[in-house]
Amino acid sequence: MKTVITSIVTAVILVLVFSLPALAQDSATVTITMTGLSEISISLDKTQWPLGTAASDTEYDTSPPIEWCTLTVEGNCNVNTFIVGDDAEWVTEPSAYKWTLSSDGTNGEHIYGLWFRISGDTTRGPLGDGYVPVTKTQSEFWPYSGGSSSSLAPGNTKQFGLRLLTPTYFISGRQMQTQITISAVAA
Amino acid sequence: MAGRTTLAGLITVLLVIFLPSLATAQDINFSVIPAVVKIDNLPPGETTEFQLLIHNKDETAHDFVLTAVPPPEEEREEGRAEFPDPSWIDFSSPEVHIAANATANVTVTVAIPQEARWTGNDWEIWLGVAAESSDLLGIKLFVRLLVSTDSPPKAKFNAGLFAGIAVLVVLLAYSGYYYFRHKAKPQ
Repeated sequence: MKTVITSIVTAVILVLVFSLPALAQDSATVTITMTGLSEISISLDKTQWPLGTAASDTEYDTSPPIEWCTLTVEGNCNVNTFIVGDDAEWVTEPSAYKWTLSSDGTNGEHIYGLWFRISGDTTRGPLGDGYVPVTKTQSEFWPYSGGSSSSLAPGNTKQFGLRLLTPTYFISGRQMQTQITISAVAA
Repeated sequence: MAGRTTLAGLITVLLVIFLPSLATAQDINFSVIPAVVKIDNLPPGETTEFQLLIHNKDETAHDFVLTAVPPPEEEREEGRAEFPDPSWIDFSSPEVHIAANATANVTVTVAIPQEARWTGNDWEIWLGVAAESSDLLGIKLFVRLLVSTDSPPKAKFNAGLFAGIAVLVVLLAYSGYYYFRHKAKPQ
């Protein structure tokens, strides 16, 4: 009987010795890599455009037109930047009245256009004058496809201006407000 | 006189107050660490987590909103597909209030459902951090989250396990044979 028990224990030990290392190879280790603890940050030296009153179907440019605001890369990694706009809402009752942001920079009744132009960009955009429509779809700010530009490095700056094209018709006397978001991601 | 009144009325009808910026100007300056997070070998059915550090560099407190958004296809890293479902990513707090010149950690949890089709994938999704503001221009910073799931287990011949089982079977058979033969043997 003693021989039987010894044999079984020996066999179990043999199985474990051979199989455990092999089984261990099947389990993977989850690794999380945070690349050099890189810090992403951009800043804008202006965030408001106090336009005051505006007439219908009229273009308004920031002043100065293309060096109105400066974007600066503050972090320690290169970035690609984007821009996206939104509808303009009546401040008093946002759900009651709005101007829809055009998808191509043109205007219409209760539809307005927004454009941006980066300093030094003279041929970009649908009209080839450097102005690019701001739409509700996130699009490239800098760099942009089709250009020879590269991502922005820490300390780099880009100056730009905005152009507003008011609707051909809108309800007057209402205070409107919108937001343009400039975003950045590590290049 | 009547003509002047009509003209003044017409101008009033055409004018509107746009982007009045009645609020106090608030430049937003913040950063996020890290800019890129890479998770490797995450098995479907398992969860992992990491932390984002948001640094509010302003002199005023801000509310920051966190979201998970699919990046534009042309911005994804080469070989990366779109993350299947942003709801698999959870923030410990999707909105965080950070005092002036202060930092806050947000825990991000990534959970992949346990389905065979999610093995061996390389995905990319962006984690957006934006400061709430009523200004015309706002900033959003994106953190690149690169997730690679564990490869499917490969069917391989495990020699150690096979040898161990073979030895166990032989020893058990021999022990049984020895035991019953010994028991059946007349005294």
